[in-house]
Amino acid sequence: MRAAPSIRLRLTGWYTVVLFLMLLVYATATFLAVRHEFLEQLDDQLRDDFETAEGFLAAAPGGRIALSGDRHHDPDDDHDRGSDVWTANGDPIDRSGAAGALPPVALAAATAEPRYESLTVDAHRWRTLTGRTLAGGRSVVLRVSRSEERLRAQLSEILVVLVLGLPLVVALAGAGGYVLARRALTPIDHLATEARRITADRLHDRLSVPNPHDEIGRLAAVINDTFARLESSFDQLRRFTADASHELRTPLAVIRGIGEMELKDTRTAAEYKDAIGSMLEEVDRLTSLVDTLLRLSHGDAGTIRLSRESVDVGRLVRDMASSLALLAEERNQQLTVQGGDGVLVTADRLVLREAITNVIDNAIKYSPKASDILVRVRQQSGRAIVEVVDHGPGIAPEHRERIFDRFFRVDEARTRESGGTGLGLAIAKWAVHVNGGAISVEDAPAGGSVFRIVLPMATSPVPHQHPTQHMGEPV
Amino acid sequence: MRILIVEDERKIAHVLASALKAEHYDVAVAPTGEEGFSRVNAEVFELVVLDLMLPGRSGLEILQALRKRRIETPVLILTARDGVDDRVLGLDLGADDYLVKPFALPELLARVRALLRRGRAADVLRLKAADLELDVVGRRANRGDRLLELTTREFELLEYLLRHQGHLVSREMLAREVWKEPRRATPLDNVIDVQIARLRRKVDADGAARLIHTVRGVGFVLREGDP
Repeated sequence: MRAAPSIRLRLTGWYTVVLFLMLLVYATATFLAVRHEFLEQLDDQLRDDFETAEGFLAAAPGGRIALSGDRHHDPDDDHDRGSDVWTANGDPIDRSGAAGALPPVALAAATAEPRYESLTVDAHRWRTLTGRTLAGGRSVVLRVSRSEERLRAQLSEILVVLVLGLPLVVALAGAGGYVLARRALTPIDHLATEARRITADRLHDRLSVPNPHDEIGRLAAVINDTFARLESSFDQLRRFTADASHELRTPLAVIRGIGEMELKDTRTAAEYKDAIGSMLEEVDRLTSLVDTLLRLSHGDAGTIRLSRESVDVGRLVRDMASSLALLAEERNQQLTVQGGDGVLVTADRLVLREAITNVIDNAIKYSPKASDILVRVRQQSGRAIVEVVDHGPGIAPEHRERIFDRFFRVDEARTRESGGTGLGLAIAKWAVHVNGGAISVEDAPAGGSVFRIVLPMATSPVPHQHPTQHMGEPV
Repeated sequence: MRILIVEDERKIAHVLASALKAEHYDVAVAPTGEEGFSRVNAEVFELVVLDLMLPGRSGLEILQALRKRRIETPVLILTARDGVDDRVLGLDLGADDYLVKPFALPELLARVRALLRRGRAADVLRLKAADLELDVVGRRANRGDRLLELTTREFELLEYLLRHQGHLVSREMLAREVWKEPRRATPLDNVIDVQIARLRRKVDADGAARLIHTVRGVGFVLREGDP
């Protein structure tokens, strides 16, 4: 495959072709206009000649008609022009100047209104004006003539200038265009060089933007923006990799440590059992971590298959809340569900369940003991909204962006203690997203936070308000 | 009852064989697909535990070949791949159940019991362990003379433990069978622990002998005496 020529060459090529065509049209138009003007002038001169000759026609003694006086101001022109006069019968009366070279006029063609005619005699082109006129009371035929040759010569010269000048001008313009194109495109080459310098290790670097308002500046801004996003996803990936290896290695280290320690000395059966149980706990943790990570990466790769169906969000939330109410109860918290049945969305029920479970569990875990947790389900302008309002410490604004990141923990020590993997909200976000929804967090008016899940509704169901239900006793 | 394990990973095969032998099954191990296939053809087994990822002939191919020959021995497939496709394909090809590695042994043993029990009407409506009695139809539970006041969930949990009495029950099994949660999630594990603790308080109250035991790192077991 042949490489396409550079933009500079293509730009110059197009520019040259367009300029050439434009100049060609311009030159042709100019030439035609000049030619038309010249011929017009020649005809005007002939009319002048005709009128002058008419004036000189007079009745001579003896009833004859003759041209009187010298009507030639410039005798040198005699070979270039001339005049003939005939009687109505075709008898020649007078013939002067170069007229001798011309054939006699066809009398029938001569009319009262003078007529122009072009003649070629021996490769010599003439322009004539022929008409009938009265002289001394008698009708005569008058013809004046001028040679077109000088005019033709002038036109040829103009044509030669135009034909030879055109390619020259186009060539010069092309060269100029090439230089200009190179100058205009140099900043792009610069950008390319700079961009190449910014590798994965130096993603914090940015392209220099000399003028942010011109085209190059805008291009550089767009590229910089892309670099910024790339940098942030690289950072995220780096953080994730570091976090993941930490999370995965910790249980492995524990298992290994316990194993090595227990093998050092002989212990009682009960001690061994305890050690093995402890190892198995870590294996459990590792397993659920790997499961979750695999699921998230399936989600990232888009290889997850959802079975979408119509899901009643209100009922789903109530189900999940009644399962988790037990945990709230252990902490003396009041878990309340408000909102209606009949809020239908099209979603994968299991995946959506996970989102809701994790958000409610999160609220239970981080709310102080004996506080209230409210879960609201409502519909608003075609969307189903699930809000989990807690009375926890709230989330600092700088953490809000990252709270849904994998392994992100506001308080490292506390979460570990409560047995979280640090993936609950990441799973929730993933689960909401694959179902076409969005999840966000904000401060609750009364302190604490509100986690909000917004899902597109399936159809427009009959509005049905469900009475507030307390999850006091687990079902 | 004879069980054939077709598994190339030596350690896993060993663990499986030991666990099943401990449950008094007669166990044979085939380390390759070819050998597994020829043994199933030549001998009589009540159950085949079949790994899908085998060198040479894959587990799915063996399963297909067996079913083509109208050998209807129940097959429990093991797979490390969590893909739905594999599972569905396996069940479509005639597997009776599947487990994803890493699986918990209690889970495997429960599946094996279920597969071997299959076809027998064994629905017991009164369950007993020591002086604990459960009336499945009347939804009543007694510990000696004491009537236990159980919530619906607690009743189902106790019923499940009783049906598997003497056998270990993992949290995963409880999540799936009692909570009907197809997927395991950390929040639910906590819920299960809390629920077990509450049930134990009701069942093993008043100085009665402990019946519900926690086996660290594995799960729970309902049994008289030590776990």
